[in-house]
Amino acid sequence: MTARSPAVALAAAGAIASLAAGCSPIDRGPRFRPAGNTAPRDGGTLRFSVIEQVRTLDPTTGYDEMTNLATHLLFDTLVDFAPGGLEIMPRLAARWTVSDDGLVYRFELRPGAAFSDGTPITAAHAGYGLERALATPDSPSAEYLADLAGARDVIARKATACAGITTDGDRTLVLTLVRRNPALLSILTMSFATPQRPEHVAAAGDQLRRRPDATGPFELVSWDEGTRLVLRRNPHYYDPARVHLDAIVMLENVPRDTQFQMFERGELDTAEKLAAPDYLFVMSEPAWQPYIHRLVGMNAFGSRMNVTRKPFDDRRVRQALNYALDKRHTARLLNATTVPAHGILPPGMLGRDAELAPYPHDVARARALLAEAGYPGGLDVDYVTTSDEETQKVAGSLQSDLAAAGVRVQIVVMSWATWQTAVGQPGGPAFSFTSWSADFPDPVNFLDPRFHARSIKAADSTNDSFYTNPEVDALLDAARAELDQARRAALYRRVERILYDDAPWIWDYHRMTTEVVQPYVHYAPHAIWTRDYSSAWLDVGLDGAPVPR
Amino acid sequence: MIGAIVRRVAWTALVVWFVVTATFAVTAAIPADPVKALLGPHATAETIARVRAHYCLDHGVVHQYGCWLDRVARGDLGESYRSKRAVTEIIGDRLWPTVQLALAAIALQLLIGVPLGAIAALWRGRWPDRGAILVAVIGQSAPPFVVGTVLLYLLAYRWGWFPIGGYGSGGWDRIVHLVLPAMTLAAFGVAYYSRVVRSELIDALGEDYVRTARAKGLPERIVIGRHALRNALGPLVTLVGLDLGTLLGGAVVVEFIFAWPGLGRELLRAILEIDIPLIVGAVLVVAVAIAVVNLLVDLVYLWIDPRLRA
Repeated sequence: MTARSPAVALAAAGAIASLAAGCSPIDRGPRFRPAGNTAPRDGGTLRFSVIEQVRTLDPTTGYDEMTNLATHLLFDTLVDFAPGGLEIMPRLAARWTVSDDGLVYRFELRPGAAFSDGTPITAAHAGYGLERALATPDSPSAEYLADLAGARDVIARKATACAGITTDGDRTLVLTLVRRNPALLSILTMSFATPQRPEHVAAAGDQLRRRPDATGPFELVSWDEGTRLVLRRNPHYYDPARVHLDAIVMLENVPRDTQFQMFERGELDTAEKLAAPDYLFVMSEPAWQPYIHRLVGMNAFGSRMNVTRKPFDDRRVRQALNYALDKRHTARLLNATTVPAHGILPPGMLGRDAELAPYPHDVARARALLAEAGYPGGLDVDYVTTSDEETQKVAGSLQSDLAAAGVRVQIVVMSWATWQTAVGQPGGPAFSFTSWSADFPDPVNFLDPRFHARSIKAADSTNDSFYTNPEVDALLDAARAELDQARRAALYRRVERILYDDAPWIWDYHRMTTEVVQPYVHYAPHAIWTRDYSSAWLDVGLDGAPVPR
Repeated sequence: MIGAIVRRVAWTALVVWFVVTATFAVTAAIPADPVKALLGPHATAETIARVRAHYCLDHGVVHQYGCWLDRVARGDLGESYRSKRAVTEIIGDRLWPTVQLALAAIALQLLIGVPLGAIAALWRGRWPDRGAILVAVIGQSAPPFVVGTVLLYLLAYRWGWFPIGGYGSGGWDRIVHLVLPAMTLAAFGVAYYSRVVRSELIDALGEDYVRTARAKGLPERIVIGRHALRNALGPLVTLVGLDLGTLLGGAVVVEFIFAWPGLGRELLRAILEIDIPLIVGAVLVVAVAIAVVNLLVDLVYLWIDPRLRA
């Protein structure tokens, strides 16, 4: 043996020992436990991360999911959804009345409501916020307020003030509509409907996106864009008892796996949108079970068909494809994070017919329907999907299920942006993946854009099945004009039945969200806003540190 | 000399113009509507038309290109469709993290790669050489997502020596956050540099001037350090220049794995969202950075090799 051998052997042993230490099993259960406080404890900082980044803190133009997480903490609206679900509750408005004809809404502002610098919020501020949503050129929400008297003129730049937005003294905002809109209160829960100050908007100029004029439970401390957003408790918030945290830190652009490693290390207090291996681990680890929150989202996923083009112009073909799909496969591929769908309305939504069962998996029936429709030997179709992991899995499952019924599917993958551009065009793909998530949880935000003939345009149709049915249109119009929620629900249930039979989509699933929190985090996700940490609190020790398990 | 510099600067400007114009043409040719990508599936046809007009996207490509050139000439790269933020501001924010990462990676490549290559050459055929070959094979064959994930798992997640990801808050915290992404990014370069230095040094050690130096009775460390190694490092000037240019373009995978807020990640996102002003602005800056670094390398060569000045 030569003299250099011991050194080589030592190095090799060191490397092996290091790798062994790295591969040895570790306890991946929670590192901390609740301290045992029985009442909400004030103080502390909650840290969480998001996979993308906040785009803007201007409530008028903010729109996407990540931005909404921040704006919802910064901006209160006149009304809000109660934590449990779809019931509307007062927020900045102490109360409101609706005229008998459903055309005039009067909101009385809560005494003590103030911006984060202490300036009282007035009805004029509330009205100005809505006017900005109409007048700002790139406002994504203008159409939601189009039923206000004079709104169309403001959107078209023919007027600067909206006739349907007036005030009665400092404390009462009056909204006058030209036609009934039973979803108006739901619409007014969105952050764009927060009160704003014209002088702040003018002073901030193009920096408005970084200088939020907070009306909500938190205000901005700092924003290192794309990296870290820090909020602290709003000292002038009208309801201090609702807020317990001193601060919230939101880390941006953190990948899913990195998020979960940080969470396990105790560097984050909550984790959501877990990667599949982390999700499966959490769901199988008993020690984490009490700290997992699951919610069915306000969404629907499936495949849309252009019902004006062959072979999808035949209802029997569309029904056959619905029978051919085995929803259990999708559920298994997506790790049981789905609820089978019978239509576009998710569970809990007004008008969803809970008695309507999803299409059963029945290959014989599918083949029979195809034969009846003139395709006894099956058919060949192209199916367009996006390049996401989930949509490609779903497309593969669909391809295999439909093959069993004689439908040979050729999958075409596009980028998300290209797919989105293509499907709303009459000459676009006839058969593709589709999904829909609610901006606000009302059937009018699902059914009207996707299935009303009014939503078919020469280009960029949201009704991208190009589905027209005068009966459905009439029912949807009647439901839009109906203020009695029970009667509205009955109308929507009839629409659901018709759509179920007409099958412009292959109805597939509603997606669940899963969030896991550290044992000391007291919080339940909001049924609509999901990660709403406004009232969260930390059950930590007297020194403010989490108690080790 | 001045004529050579002017020629190279002119070529650089032409290359930058060509790259940016080609990028503009490619983004315009993508069959995806940036406004639909921006507004999401809920947008009505009316809203889409209004926002399209707001961003001048209702005009033809040539008109858009003309508008863009006009703005660039005034130092304005426009605003991101997605965030409504000035493109110059976004790039300004993202460039510094990328520069830090690139410089740290280059420094590691030199600090580890050069001594490793020198050791391998001086102990040629013996175990230090074989060890260096092993390091080189691993470094050159393992892709960054593997190196990054392994480093992240062992050094950050399991042993807790480094933070799992992020940019840090500045000072020492920033340096600690920089270590793992810089190591990942440098892995390939360390391996490559070590092989180049080994090969060049072995060649240099066989040259007449080394034999002469030894014959003069110079100590071996002077022979190697002042004569052989100095000549062996010549090709590294080109390598460092090329690497610096590439790294300034952003290390997308490394930035993504370590949540490092650099330009590469920003550019990738812009591409996915068809955020044309940001794509073209970022490509412009990257093209200028690469061109300037290449220009500097050329100038260094002109300086050190008089034969090229003709």
